Amino acid sequence: MPRWGMVIDLDKCFACQSCTAACRMENNTPPAGKDQAGMGRTILWNEVLPFVEGEYPNVKATLLPRPCMHCDNPACIKVCPVQATYKNEEGLVLVDYNRCIGCRMCTVACPYAVRYFNWYAPEWPEDLKAHLNPEPEVQPRPKGVVEKCTFCVQRLRQARETAEAEGRTFQATDYVPACVQTCTAHARYFGDLDDPDSLVSKLAHSPRAFRMFEELGTQPKVFYLKQG
Amino acid sequence: MTAIDPNPQKSKLSRRDFLKLGATAAAAGAGLSLLRPTHKPLAAQPDPEEATVKTTCALCPSGCGLEVRVVDGKAVKVEGNPLHPLNQGVCCLKGQTSLEVLYSPERLEHPRLQTGKRGSGDWKELSWDEALGLVANRLVSLREAGKPHSVALMHGDLRGQMRQVVNRFMRAYGSPNVISRDSLGEGAARLALWLSQGVNALPVYDLNNSNYVLAFGGNLLESSRNLIGYLGAAAFMRRGRPQRGKLVAIHPRLSLTGIKADEWLPIRPGTYGALALGMANVIVNSKLYDEDFVRDFTFGFEDFEDAAGVTHQGFKSLVLETYTLERVAAVTGVSTDKIARIAGEFATNRPAVAVLPTEPGELSSGNALYTALAVHALNALVGSIDAKGGVLLQRFPKLAEWPAYALDETARRGETKERLDGAGTQFPLALSAYQNVPERILAGQPYPLEMLILLNANPAYEMPNGGRTLDALSKVPFVVSFASTLDESAAQADLVLPASTFLEIWGDDYLEGTGYAGVSLRRPVVEAVHDTRNPGDVLLDLAHRIGDPVKQALPWPTYQELITNRLSVFDWEKLEANGNWSELVYFNAAPGSPAWQEVVGRDRLNAPKDGRFDFFSRERFALPGSDSAPSAMLRASSACLPHFDIPATLTDSSADALDYPFLLVTQPLITQSSQWQGIVPTLQECYGLQGNVKWDSWVEIGRKAAEALGLENGQRVWVESPLGRVQAMVRVYAGLWPNAVFLPPGQGHHTFVRWGRKSAEAMLVGANPNALTEITSEPLTGLAVSGPARVRVYPV
Repeated sequence: MPRWGMVIDLDKCFACQSCTAACRMENNTPPAGKDQAGMGRTILWNEVLPFVEGEYPNVKATLLPRPCMHCDNPACIKVCPVQATYKNEEGLVLVDYNRCIGCRMCTVACPYAVRYFNWYAPEWPEDLKAHLNPEPEVQPRPKGVVEKCTFCVQRLRQARETAEAEGRTFQATDYVPACVQTCTAHARYFGDLDDPDSLVSKLAHSPRAFRMFEELGTQPKVFYLKQG
Repeated sequence: MTAIDPNPQKSKLSRRDFLKLGATAAAAGAGLSLLRPTHKPLAAQPDPEEATVKTTCALCPSGCGLEVRVVDGKAVKVEGNPLHPLNQGVCCLKGQTSLEVLYSPERLEHPRLQTGKRGSGDWKELSWDEALGLVANRLVSLREAGKPHSVALMHGDLRGQMRQVVNRFMRAYGSPNVISRDSLGEGAARLALWLSQGVNALPVYDLNNSNYVLAFGGNLLESSRNLIGYLGAAAFMRRGRPQRGKLVAIHPRLSLTGIKADEWLPIRPGTYGALALGMANVIVNSKLYDEDFVRDFTFGFEDFEDAAGVTHQGFKSLVLETYTLERVAAVTGVSTDKIARIAGEFATNRPAVAVLPTEPGELSSGNALYTALAVHALNALVGSIDAKGGVLLQRFPKLAEWPAYALDETARRGETKERLDGAGTQFPLALSAYQNVPERILAGQPYPLEMLILLNANPAYEMPNGGRTLDALSKVPFVVSFASTLDESAAQADLVLPASTFLEIWGDDYLEGTGYAGVSLRRPVVEAVHDTRNPGDVLLDLAHRIGDPVKQALPWPTYQELITNRLSVFDWEKLEANGNWSELVYFNAAPGSPAWQEVVGRDRLNAPKDGRFDFFSRERFALPGSDSAPSAMLRASSACLPHFDIPATLTDSSADALDYPFLLVTQPLITQSSQWQGIVPTLQECYGLQGNVKWDSWVEIGRKAAEALGLENGQRVWVESPLGRVQAMVRVYAGLWPNAVFLPPGQGHHTFVRWGRKSAEAMLVGANPNALTEITSEPLTGLAVSGPARVRVYPV
């Protein structure tokens, strides 16, 4: 079984937010609109976070793309009272929308703040519904459940189906999430962390590699490569 | 002409069928994939459930290849086309959200006629036949009255063949008035290349091979013409090759480019030219310039005597005498040691390249041309003209011949008329002067305008000039707009002919910004969502209604046939399969190889006279009339040399300086869709990255200034200039020149849709910063002058 992981090279990332947009278009997260966005209720599974420090002219700004870390030791799972959120055998941390009772314990427990609560049923202007991704995994989520990045789990299923249809064995390189495929500077890498020959596992062992809040012991499977 | 199957590219196979057929296909060793087009469909499906269609994006000038997944006739996901040389499989956020454009509820569904007063909003929908009948009647009667020149067409971005189609249409009709938006932005870079290299083109920067990149302006990695190419190249420069290059961003604001660059050099707004000349001073003074290149391939470096025996100052003595470090530091606010260090690094880490901005507002401080010349001269000093890692010139492929057409008497007379915008007369060096049109209409100069056509153009938004543009529009008896949404100008039009989006039409794009020759094919991905048409088709239809000579110039019945005819020189099957065709020979050629010599030799011949790079512009010198931009820093002949004029708003003696203490800088953002009315919801929700602002405008202000004014983050304030005021939210931002404020462009559009829960049905999203700026024209070049405007900020 592969253990899926991602590497984001901050030296190559130019904060263009294409990942953010690709994620929304792939995973059917609804537009929040001005009112709800003003309350911080925008659902973007893959936001780029700004950190601006220092005073003019010595300003240091960091722009950090942040998907779900798909931790090996996730804090969100431990607090879920109904086992709606779980880690599957390939290391993906997923939510069963049918089980989720919307208690939002996980949104608080997650140190990366990547879990989004549906305060209301998603709304699109009627015309815009035409472009929604028809895959079953990404059908609009109901009111009152928590959702998050799945590493585009529907693409994993699609890749397996295609491999099967073509009569070949599924390879780890057959599957990438939407954000990785669209990354304008090729700053994102994706693959099997357990395969020592895969590019991601090599990069994850690079001296530039670090993980967010590593000291918390969550063991994220998203690695960043330092800038410069 | 090649016969075309309407949908050869769709793999006519649903996923379900695919599964069923999988075993058979594998046994046959077909090895096909869903992403690959097949010309031999395995299953005859009358209505394919799923397909992937290759097309070309048109949301910014880059023109990346796209692959659109279509399920049941609906486009559901956009990816980059891996076989496209420009984006190589990646896709930016605008491309990703293009489906929100395609299915936008803001789109106009039918042609419409404003029956009430202009701007009243009393619209009547009508059929295309009626609408085009109206336009054709007007055009024919104006032509018969001998006034075809009183029809003008203002256009923004035109893709591929559309440029020629528009020009042929208007020329054969008898009007010289094809007015391009160039003069607001990229015109300066284009003109700089014309005056220095004798080529009317935009520079292409080979960042992939560059060791040192000086990006003037904040837009290189955010909104440049070849954005995706440059993003990929910047990443390659850092991590894709053994030697890491350095990127320096020079801009008053810490933009995304500045944040991600190796160094950000804050500079006083409007003074790029002085900095470039100061750096030239250091490079010349320390003899760090490329002596071989300067001696063999340039003109006007040393002082020289012309044929008439008059001595002219050369570039060398100009920069040594006038642009001393201390003076430049005083003007630009960049310290002398920083200027010297950056100049030294630039000259010694070759290949190095100095990049010109092309976006509106970046150079428009009244000194755009000479600033562009000064920056471009740095490239010549380090020998980066036509060189690997330096500045390349764009090549264009040779396509099928255009059909010949003969101008009749009316068209010939029209051709000789003065242009409405004054290009070539009022502005001798201008190709167009977009921002001058409203003034000329109001003045009735040079003749009253009878009809105005707006194609990808929204002058009422781009240059409101305190309402005068609206006055000008209402003065024109008949205004036609091709807008897809009811934008600010379309709302003032008589007739709107809604354009289809790029996902619904045939078309093409040159691979501009890559350097090498190539075309990229655009084809309908889905059937037209509404009753809209490709403006190309509309012009062809009108040509047929008007008759000869317009019909003779554009004989094709549909734009699809025009495209297939023009591109028939290529292997059509390959073009369709790859989505594009390109010739990489020159780009990949080693300097000195035959392919390189052939092209570089040709460029040199294009340059004025002997093919040298002109520090002293002989094109400019040959122009009649002497210096029209007087300045204390100038000598008589230095109008032909790059030099720096201080923008009027920067001279602190101006009376405004006390009342309006801040300089307004603005710079296009990556989240801004310039062609589309600002309402693309996902772009709005990513809009202000550094300040995390969504669905709104914000004004960035330095901490000291904010404290002095008692302003806090999130507070609503007025930003006011002598021309008007707009409301925005305060964002205290450390990355800003101390007395500058920043307003994001692209906001301030009306929306008529309820986007998300509890949002208003109709509202203004943010504020239009153009409303604060008086947009005028440079005397010689007709380029836009837009500031930096002076503003003040106070709480609501």
